[in-house]
Amino acid sequence: MRELLLTLDTSTEITSVGLAWLTETTLETFASAVVDAPRAAMSRVLPTASSLLAGGMLSVRDVRAVIVGRGPGSFTGVRIGVATAKGLAHGLGVPLWGVGTLDAIAWGIAADRPMLLGVLGDAMRGEVYPALFRCGNGRAERLAPDEVATPADVAREWARLGEPLTLAGNGLRKYGDLFTDALGDGATLADELLWAPYAEGLFRAFAAARAAGELGSGEPGELLPIYTRLSDAEENEAARAGRASGQTPSSGVAGESR
Amino acid sequence: MNAHLRDMREGDVGAVAALEAISFRDPWSAGAFREELAAPRRAYLVAEEATELVGYVGIMLVDDDAHLMNLAVRPDRRGEGLGRSLAGEAMARASAMGATRMTLEVRPSNASAIALYESLGMISVGERPGYYADTGEAALIMWGDLPAAGGAVRLGTDDAPYTELILAIETSCDETAAAVMRGGRELLADVVASQIDFHARFGGVVPEIASRKHTEAIVGVVDEALALAGEALGYDAPLPFAALDAIAVTHGPGLVGALVVGLAYAKGLAMATGLPLVGVNHLEGHIFANVLADPEVGPPLVALVVSGGHTSLVHMPEWGVYRTLGETLDDATGEAFDKVAKVLGLGYPGGPILSRLAEEGDPAAIEFPRAMMRSGDYAFSLSGLKTAVINHIRHEQQAGREIHVPDLAASFQQAIIDVQVAKAVRAVEETGATSFCLAGGVAANPALRRALTGAMERLGVHVSVPPLHLCTDNAAMIAAAAHYRYLRGERLGLDAEPITSLRLDTE
Repeated sequence: MRELLLTLDTSTEITSVGLAWLTETTLETFASAVVDAPRAAMSRVLPTASSLLAGGMLSVRDVRAVIVGRGPGSFTGVRIGVATAKGLAHGLGVPLWGVGTLDAIAWGIAADRPMLLGVLGDAMRGEVYPALFRCGNGRAERLAPDEVATPADVAREWARLGEPLTLAGNGLRKYGDLFTDALGDGATLADELLWAPYAEGLFRAFAAARAAGELGSGEPGELLPIYTRLSDAEENEAARAGRASGQTPSSGVAGESR
Repeated sequence: MNAHLRDMREGDVGAVAALEAISFRDPWSAGAFREELAAPRRAYLVAEEATELVGYVGIMLVDDDAHLMNLAVRPDRRGEGLGRSLAGEAMARASAMGATRMTLEVRPSNASAIALYESLGMISVGERPGYYADTGEAALIMWGDLPAAGGAVRLGTDDAPYTELILAIETSCDETAAAVMRGGRELLADVVASQIDFHARFGGVVPEIASRKHTEAIVGVVDEALALAGEALGYDAPLPFAALDAIAVTHGPGLVGALVVGLAYAKGLAMATGLPLVGVNHLEGHIFANVLADPEVGPPLVALVVSGGHTSLVHMPEWGVYRTLGETLDDATGEAFDKVAKVLGLGYPGGPILSRLAEEGDPAAIEFPRAMMRSGDYAFSLSGLKTAVINHIRHEQQAGREIHVPDLAASFQQAIIDVQVAKAVRAVEETGATSFCLAGGVAANPALRRALTGAMERLGVHVSVPPLHLCTDNAAMIAAAAHYRYLRGERLGLDAEPITSLRLDTE
């Protein structure tokens, strides 16, 4: 028995789509596509998925689960991916699973060789989404939850680790120099081609979460994006009240949930 | 009988061919049905109960003539009027597609079918000898005139109602909404998840919060709508996606981040289900809130659309055709209400609070400017009035006088109403409209409703103000508007993007 999986991620400036066969013991990515164009996700993600399916002589009705990158990334970008995936999974009546976008990048890079990997997503407004992963044996183990921080703070913290660090992620386009300066010889940049969440990484992150039993319910209605930040209005409100905004609730909106 | 009619789809072909095989001695193959579905100028419909196929009909158009290709009803469901519904719907479709007459062949031995066609106004005009290969029987040829299509698209009538099921989704601002509509008029489910509490403390809609709440709520809201629709149709279960004929979604105008969520979700749903996706203009939806509530509203009509984001006079000479006569050059009406309410510290949402206070005030207490009253066109301007009100407040405060808020609210509101009524009346007179309707969130304003109703009644024009629950954003109105776009074959592709300033105007 093999099952067809569809994945997509639109959290960054690229639109990533892929198909894989899942069996009891293997997960094999057999088709993937990347549209490297900012703000193209809304118009390109589903047509890209359609052509991948058509290329494999498959119908969307063959898809048995949808896997989506939940961010963090561009708020609107993340929502395009998550809302599209919700529509697909809901309409097909199949589970919707989420994986972290930075996890997908890390799992795309992780090889046999042990290394400490720092992924930096561009959070706009002078901030980054940092995430550290302990990689080796083809695995990427996350060391801390997603957050948002200033590049200088992250660079200082990572320099203090005193360990060689491989860096990846689109945050490096703006802050690469800041990190290589702060980390000195200890820093290596991963191949820039690997800085994005591709299908292979999304599927590998999914397989790892599945094996660890960390996938959640699979209900399309329950999956939420990863924001790490409240809306500006709420952040400003918290700042005015003289308190830190603290932890962002899972819905991404403070106050009573329905 | 709970069967409903919808367009035949690829996925129905197996069941259709099976019913064909037990109904006719020389049945069409599944392949033949598939070819017909792909061919132009065809209409194939199925009657479905729960998710079971109980009948189907197909027509082909040749010039102005519709040929009834086949019609079958499951043997255990004959004699319930299903055949009549199918034939009636096929005739309505043929008419909507431009046909003026319909013809068919029937076995002379099939008395019940002949009786059915005769009851629909078809008459026998001759025979086609040796038509049926199996028996060498001649075919009886019948012809009949089709009811006129009445303008661009005809609304369902009692003898040939449209019965398509549309799921509509609306996320253009701060309400996550879904509705299920049958035949453009029969509302089976109407669900709105309001976010008002989340925006209240910021004194206005925060687009990022709206977008996040839509993402969180959308699946649950649609599930609830499908559950209610299933209940309304007497099913034991929620309406399945497979029973729908189309998905409709607000395409614009609105907040881009909010529109994106509904549209991305709807596109995913459309791809997964294979259902057509129909894009609806949000303003058109507000106009259709009136059509939904009052069956007598129809073209030619003039609508005044007033909300937090819009103020425009729209002419609809026939169904689906729109011309914006004029709109605001600056603030929208609801926006002006909210801003003045904010200056007065009245809380959120300020507009309704202000209009409630105005009910107790004297509209002639303060003379505010009637902007654009004599501009000779249909444009509006509200920012000057808003400034005049704010200046008045400051002036009074500096003079140490207490502001009589109800008088101020009433006078401000009257200045808006005077201009809007004058322009609406002129628009109706100049276009010769026979219906006038008020639409949008500000349509809930009692003074505006009274003033426009009075003015239009004096003109002898049919006037409609929407029920209060349909003034705010909802998906029922989107579903009602989608009906016409669906019948006209308007579709959105999987590459569709929201259009934040989508124009209503056709051509």
